[in-house]
Amino acid sequence: MKSRGMPQVEALKKATGESVYTEDIRFPNLLIGKILRSPYSHARVLKVDTSKAKKLPGVKAVLSGEDVPPFPWGPAVDDEFILAKGKVRYIGDEVAAVAAVDEETAVKALSLIDVQYEELEGIFDPEVALKAQASRIHEKGNLVTSYHFTRGSIDEGFKKSSIILEDVFEVPRAHQAYLQPHCAIAQIDIQGRINIWATTQMPFVFGSRIAKALGIPEDQIRVIQNTIGGGFGGKNMVPSLYLIAILLAKKTGKPVRIQNTREEEFFSGRVRCPAKIWLKMGIAADGTILAKETKIIMDCGAYASNGPAIMITTSMRADNVYRIKNLKTQADLVYTNQVPVGSFRGLGNPQMAFALESMIDMLALAIGKDPLEVRLKNATREGDTTVHGWEILSCSFSDTLEGAAEESGWEQKRKNKVPFRGIGMACAIQPSGNRFARDDDSSSAYLKMSPSGNLMLMTGEGDIGQGAYLTFRKIVAKEMGIPPERIQVLPVDTDISPRGLGAFASRVTVIGGNAVLAAAKDLKKQILTAASRIFNLSLEHLEYKEGKVFSLAQPVRQFTIEEITQKASALPDGPPLLGRGFYNPPSSKVDPNTKYGNIAVSYSFATHVAEVEIDPDTGTIKILGYWAYHDSGNIIDMIGAEGQVEGGIIQGLGTTLSEQLIIERGKPLNPNFRDYPLLTAPDIPPLRMRFIENEDPRGPYGAKGLGEPVLVPCAPAVANAIYDAIGIRIKKIPILPEDIFFRIRKSKEIR
Amino acid sequence: MPKVRLTINRETISLNVSPTKLLIDLIREDLGLTGTKKACGHGDCGACTVLMDGKPVNSCLVLAVEAQGKEITTIEGVGQNGELHPLQKAFIELGAIQCGYCTPGMILVGKALLDQNRDPSEEDIKKAVEGNICRCTGYYKIIKAILSVAKGKT
Repeated sequence: MKSRGMPQVEALKKATGESVYTEDIRFPNLLIGKILRSPYSHARVLKVDTSKAKKLPGVKAVLSGEDVPPFPWGPAVDDEFILAKGKVRYIGDEVAAVAAVDEETAVKALSLIDVQYEELEGIFDPEVALKAQASRIHEKGNLVTSYHFTRGSIDEGFKKSSIILEDVFEVPRAHQAYLQPHCAIAQIDIQGRINIWATTQMPFVFGSRIAKALGIPEDQIRVIQNTIGGGFGGKNMVPSLYLIAILLAKKTGKPVRIQNTREEEFFSGRVRCPAKIWLKMGIAADGTILAKETKIIMDCGAYASNGPAIMITTSMRADNVYRIKNLKTQADLVYTNQVPVGSFRGLGNPQMAFALESMIDMLALAIGKDPLEVRLKNATREGDTTVHGWEILSCSFSDTLEGAAEESGWEQKRKNKVPFRGIGMACAIQPSGNRFARDDDSSSAYLKMSPSGNLMLMTGEGDIGQGAYLTFRKIVAKEMGIPPERIQVLPVDTDISPRGLGAFASRVTVIGGNAVLAAAKDLKKQILTAASRIFNLSLEHLEYKEGKVFSLAQPVRQFTIEEITQKASALPDGPPLLGRGFYNPPSSKVDPNTKYGNIAVSYSFATHVAEVEIDPDTGTIKILGYWAYHDSGNIIDMIGAEGQVEGGIIQGLGTTLSEQLIIERGKPLNPNFRDYPLLTAPDIPPLRMRFIENEDPRGPYGAKGLGEPVLVPCAPAVANAIYDAIGIRIKKIPILPEDIFFRIRKSKEIR
Repeated sequence: MPKVRLTINRETISLNVSPTKLLIDLIREDLGLTGTKKACGHGDCGACTVLMDGKPVNSCLVLAVEAQGKEITTIEGVGQNGELHPLQKAFIELGAIQCGYCTPGMILVGKALLDQNRDPSEEDIKKAVEGNICRCTGYYKIIKAILSVAKGKT
């Protein structure tokens, strides 16, 4: 288990070009679908004339708002139509669609659709949207939902504080920028059932949502997950293209493929939810953090999407990093006429972590203490039940703080200042799975024995590139005592695979892994029972060890699992050897009123340290070094875990230093990889990482989740380092050189 | 329609193509070599990289007719005689592959570099893959994989 990982079988296919991603599937008679999107951020749709487009040779179907279900739907709030009915609410909103024999014809057909709009006033600022006189984006108003809670008494906390600070922090829209654009292939079979090949992170939930959107039973839909070209949360939703592909396939009787262009990804993706956070906090002279008061306004764009879950995460998650007893939080989720939002690695956590971790540095410095000392003093520890009811059964958080500080040379670098150089830190907590929004957070697995004694694992979770299948294979291999090479993992097909919720909320290793482990245990039991019947030996004398069954009765005998499998299928009543595993984490759904409850089975922690150097003449920020210390329990696959940390940090530094979707009056101005600057190889800093391993009592082999906390501390760690370097407090990301340049210039003028 | 004659993965073919057809579409749609990926369509990300006479090009920016008389290598042609190329091995063994969408382009750019420069520095490698976006790995293991082949470790 402690070995340095081993190559993914999936990686072999990827390295040779053999992997099949959705758009690589070839169908006879495949039609290409294209979507006509709104050029207006807010407008009435007066008329959609598709007659000319329908007449174009090669066009097989044209759909508009009148062809889609009459009821709105959404993952949380029913506010979206599959194609616009009456109104469009953002630039990119789906208005009409065509299916044609090829892409060229489909694109030409779009230009022949005549839409008459009556432009309405657009709203692009959520604070403006909340004003009484603001025009309404949806009939019921512009406030999607509000959320508030109190814990303890902030009045008491502030009264005892020796320093109280308040400030406002902002995080903009950013795109997950997975390389594979969303792609749908829909086909209706002879029974009328929908087959959909989809780039989704969560095939089962995806199927349920499609059922809801179309108003049909879930068993009428089969979702097939192919190799996924990255997700990072951006493939958790069901953008309209999937539903449109299904409706076009229904209309034409032929399979239809729709794939977003990169521009469509930026115009109509489900991007990171921007937040404006007002934060007031109090600290005692001894460094105890006594109170936190928070007001949050989040802009979900034109539709609610999963904005409510993001907002709850922004409101609550970071509170569990420290032992802060007195809290008051008010959050509003607001519609604007901009591109809708979705999950992005960490859900709403990076937004609040930026504010909170910056504020902790501000408080520490205000009372003349080292930010490391203040974090250590307030850090959540093993055995704690946090302010929101999270039960922390395993925790090496303090060790991550101390370890990262020591290896980075924290003390010496904070004391012996080099001009324009600084060092900063920030932390994060991450639940493995998340039950706050749903009753079900379970997973199932089947483990089928083949006649050769090899195993086929079926799971509902799916691998989106993060290496889930390798992790599962290692869990089964360990439990069964056979090499991982003897285990195949089948891709998720909702008709065949057992149910699982999918790859989100850093849940796959722990929840999926526990289900897989249970399936392996069940299979072992079945092998023993079969052996007992085949060889007519008493069960209590049999022992399973490393792919073999031993009879301890005299004379001692041994049987391989191949032998047992082959003989079991010749028994008059079998049964087939199929291990079944189920895991439902012992977490609790939050109380609907108090929002209090233990939402996950385990919690991961992280401390990141960044050292920066600022060029005062240009404002350029250079990351001289980066240290990442993680508590994710025991690591099952070390190479895969390293890959999560490395990739997450570069994504995190991208969103810290350059990435943002620039939107001008509702129009994204940088909808491509040239103008939306992702970090590339020459940009990466020297990185040192370490896992402080501990055996979580509930994880499979002691593991906890890792996918998300890798990104969360990046922005505040860099912002805190910049303050240490030049004394300028950053309150908005991304942190651009020009901002630093002008701030430096301004501070010189003041002096 | 113009006829184009080219060598792809050591096999010479000739076929009629529309003058506006892009090389990536010829490769993916006409030849069914779907290992070449299209992630941006504008030459911004490098996912569609193939080698043209040994030099990496973004096949989404090259017309199919421009491949006339050229030798094209796609990811399917990197290995030979049933053997993986050392770069493929290194990418797999060192964990340089996550979602895999950038992998064909990265391996081809790496191959072009190593074919020209047997002893590149880490900086040379970073520069060579600068035009290729990877959203999963943070590039660390990709650089390590290419370097390990250069140093003859894999």
